[in-house]
Parts: sequence; structure tokens; C-alpha cells
Amino acid sequence: MNSIEVKNLKRIYRATIGVIRRTVKEVIAVDDISFEIKEGELFGLLGPNGAGKTTTVKVLATLLIPNAGEVKVNGLDVVKDANEVRKHIGFIFGGERGLYWRLSGVDNLRYFASLYHVDPEVSKKRIPYLLELVGLKGRGNERVQGYSRGMKQRLHVARTLLHDPDILFLDEPTIGLDPVGAREFREVIRDLQSEKKTILLTTHYMFEADSLCDRVAVIDKGLIVAMDTPSALKRHVSDLSVVEVETFGVAPKVVDQIRELSFVDAVSVRDQGQRQLILVQTPLGAEAVPAVMSALNGMRVGRVTVREPTLEDAYVRLVGGKE
Amino acid sequence: MQVWKRCEMKIFANNLRLFWQGTVLSYVALFAWFRPVTYAASKVLMPLAQIIFFTYLGSYATGKDSVDFYVIGNAIQITAVSGIFGVTFSISGDRWNGTLPYLFGTPANRMMMFFGRAFMHIIDGALGVVIALTWGALLFGVDFSQTNLSALGLTILVTTISTCGLGLLMGCLSLITANVMFVNNTVYFLLLIFSGANVALDTLPPWMQTFSQVLPLTRGIASARTLISGGSFAEVAPLLISEIGIGLLYGWLGYLLFKWFEIQAKRNGSLETV
Repeated sequence: MNSIEVKNLKRIYRATIGVIRRTVKEVIAVDDISFEIKEGELFGLLGPNGAGKTTTVKVLATLLIPNAGEVKVNGLDVVKDANEVRKHIGFIFGGERGLYWRLSGVDNLRYFASLYHVDPEVSKKRIPYLLELVGLKGRGNERVQGYSRGMKQRLHVARTLLHDPDILFLDEPTIGLDPVGAREFREVIRDLQSEKKTILLTTHYMFEADSLCDRVAVIDKGLIVAMDTPSALKRHVSDLSVVEVETFGVAPKVVDQIRELSFVDAVSVRDQGQRQLILVQTPLGAEAVPAVMSALNGMRVGRVTVREPTLEDAYVRLVGGKE
Repeated sequence: MQVWKRCEMKIFANNLRLFWQGTVLSYVALFAWFRPVTYAASKVLMPLAQIIFFTYLGSYATGKDSVDFYVIGNAIQITAVSGIFGVTFSISGDRWNGTLPYLFGTPANRMMMFFGRAFMHIIDGALGVVIALTWGALLFGVDFSQTNLSALGLTILVTTISTCGLGLLMGCLSLITANVMFVNNTVYFLLLIFSGANVALDTLPPWMQTFSQVLPLTRGIASARTLISGGSFAEVAPLLISEIGIGLLYGWLGYLLFKWFEIQAKRNGSLETV
């Protein structure tokens, strides 16, 4: 049974530019996308910034009215039955905001429990349970302003579970968390998955999607460009190898030169402080290394490796190697 | 039938709880950075400063006989601090905290959520007026011996409620505009003049007198002056009915604006960009 059904969803934003001569600019954030999420499934929505991930989550969370299409959550229409939908869902947007910083964690949860009509007797037991679940046991009576970013994110999780929703929308929940915080957060998501919650997770981190999601959809410029299990998506690039070259101060022009090589499928650059890691997808494997090194002629180069493609490489190929 | 009644009772209890928790927690969230001593000082010293300033200035200009006029006018007008600024901060706090999407994503009753933000400010505002009147008695010898104190208490409560009604409307404006403090300050100073706190209304040009009549506070101040000078509750009852009516009208307009804001934000995708 499907918990979520999205059919031909379209959402356009209109922005007015200028003071005297005002012109209206239209941006298509989501362009006719369709997907379904089964009950108990953890579904990932991947895509670059501005691809339409958050817009999709907002529509599902009843916070945005679509311009066209049909969106159902547990068989309920998100526009016509918005209030009923809200009883079944919980959602988190990435970042630290969305909490009352001057209140304690417990007071934040008490207030949101009343907003979700949770019986006081139930919330009295549920709040300590949730604080323990998210690793905030013993910190609930402190003001949120003293929490670390990771603690705030975990309090968001507790907040969203107060009314025990069947469906969760997690929009880049690990963004900005340190590696330990992000790992702990992923453990919380796994716990929720084991409770058979239906989860829609948007993320930039491919390893996160790879390790957590049952299925993923890759969205780019408002369109779904691929949708499958992580292992099936990886097969999209099984014909390729990835050449990784560590460089120091590589110019964008040089990256473009590599991209133009006939045997190169996609190129992406990962900034690592002083270093840049150039990732070249190519069917040639190690044979491509001399030509890539020649394009980097004269530049200071560190480690060079050739490896099998990952979900991230599949993603880079799907969104055109822009990231 | 019994099941239906139980269901209705549960909804009522839920809404009451939401109202109460919204009330207390939004107030705590607003003033939590204050230590109790700092808060108490602000409640005691701010009315003192306003009363001293306007009473000395006014009585210097118009004579010592008018001391009661300025003390009572400014003491009642003190309620605008909680009613306008306090209520606005309670609502605009959701904008700055980024909690609006999370509030609008809940199935909570919007009316309870909205009006709950004002309730503690009614108590806070009324307390401010009592402190200000006490200063008036101690420093300027305002005489309450002829006053129907219950009726005065009701007047203070009604005036505070009506001022909070305007505050709810201003609070909603804070969701739409980034410059609500400018608007709030303007309204506060307009109330200093047009409510009759510092200027006798019959000395104002006719259009200004008309404007005074659509503001909260105007009738509350007139009612307090009548009662303190020995007037009866029957004399002020029509004023109080109009005062509460005006306050509820502003509060209702604020609520409609709040609902409109929610709908527009969902249409335009402007929930976080306000």
C-alpha cells in the first residue's frame, strides 16, 4: 500500500523584480513530477541546490499549495484535507531554526504536544521517552539557546515524533552537523525505520542515501531524472571507472579542459580546504590517467587513484557533473 | 449522543490547553532573558518614568489642578506597552524563531493559537496600570477615596483587553512587514495624544476627535477619570461596552489577517521569507 502518492506535481514561484517598472519572473521549482512511496519505505530525494527537493517536501507537509497535480498522503489530499494530513505527518527542515530558543527543550516539546492535541497524560510519558530516544536525556530542562546544533536537530526529531506520526519528511536533517552528530542522527533515522515509519529523506550526502534509503529519486531542475534502488542506480555507471586526482589550486578552466576530453563522461570537483579532489568518470579506467595528467600539465598534483563508481558518481552522471 | 458530547469535550479541553500553553510559553519565551529582578524593575520604573514626565510637563503647561488628568491618563495608557509591544513581540517572535512553518504544519486550532498569544499580556498590562496608579497616589496624591474600586478594576481589565486587540492586529502586521517597530512606535505615540491621555479630546480639531473614537484606550481613560472622581459604574458602563467592542473588533481583524497571511504564505511560498 502506498503512503504517499505524487502525480504530475507542478509548483511555480513568482518573484517581482524592480521598484518602478515591476516585472514578474516565474521560476518552475517542480515540473510535473510523479512518484509513490510505500508504507514503511525510506525514500530518498537527491538533487543539487534549487532542484526542487524542499518544494516537494513543503507541498507534502501542507505548507505549500501546488499549482498543478495531485498529492496524497495516506490517501488524503494535501490541499483539501490539509488538517487531517497534519495529524499523520511529522517534518523537519534542516538548520537550527524552528524552536523557541528561550524555552527549555521540555517546554518546546510540551507546547508542540498541545499543538498536536497530544493528551497531557500521554505527553508526560512520551516527552522523557523521546528525549532519551534522541540522546537528550538529562538535558531537557536546559534552554535551547545553549544547545549545540546537533542537539537542536535531535530536539527537532523529538518534536516531530510527539504525536507518533506514521510518515516523516526529513529535509536535509544532517546538514551542518559534525561527523559524529551526523552519524548519531543517522542511527536515529535507522531506529525510526525499524519502527516501520514511512520516511522521505532529502539529502546532499550520497553515502547517507546509499546507507539508509530503500529507493532514491534524483531530481534536477524540477524533474525526476532517475528513480530506483541505490544499487540499481549504481549500475547506471557500472560501465565507468572514477579517476580521482588530488590537486592544489586547480583553476576552473583546467577542469573544463578535462571535461572536454573525448573519453570523459562527467567531472566534478570536491573542495577539501587547500586541496581539490577532481573526480573524472570514464570508461577507460586507468588508461585515462596519462591524458588527465597531461591536461593538468605543470600543476601540483598529489594522490591519484582509480576506483569503482559509487552512488555519488551515479548522481553526478545523472545531474550532468555540475557539482 | 454521549460519545459525541465526550468528543466535543475533548476538543474543548484540547483547545483550552493549547490556549493556556500558548499563553504561558509565549510569555516565558518573550521575557525569559530577564531575571525576575530586572523584570520587576521594568514593571515598576517604566510607569514611574512616564507618569513623572507627562505629569510634570502637563501640569507645568496647564496648571497644578490638572495633575490627576495626566496621572490617570498616563497610568491607563501604560497598558499599551504590554498591549502593543508585548503582543507584537509574542507574534513576531515566531517569525524570528523560524517556528511559523512548524506551527502552520500542525492541526492546531488557529484561533486558540492566535488569541493565546495575548492573554498573559492582559494580566501584565493590568498589573502595569495598577503600579502606575499606585505611583500616582504616592507621588502626586491622587485620591481614590471616592472611587468604586471594583468598577475601576473592570475598567483597567477592559481597557487592557481592548489594547491587546490592537496589539494582535499589529502583531499580524509584523508577519507581513519587517518594519513593524516603526509602526508600533508610531501607534504608541498616537495613542499618547489621541486617546486623551495627555490632551483633552474636546480641545482637538473635529477630525482628530473622530479618530480618537476608533482607538482603544480613549473610552477606558475617560471611564477611569470618571470613576476616580467619584462617578458611578452606571455612568461608565456604555463607555466600557464600546471599549471592549473596539478591542474585540481589532482582535478579530488581526485574526482574519493571521488567517489571510497563512493562506497567502502557502500560495506564494513566502512562509520563511516574510
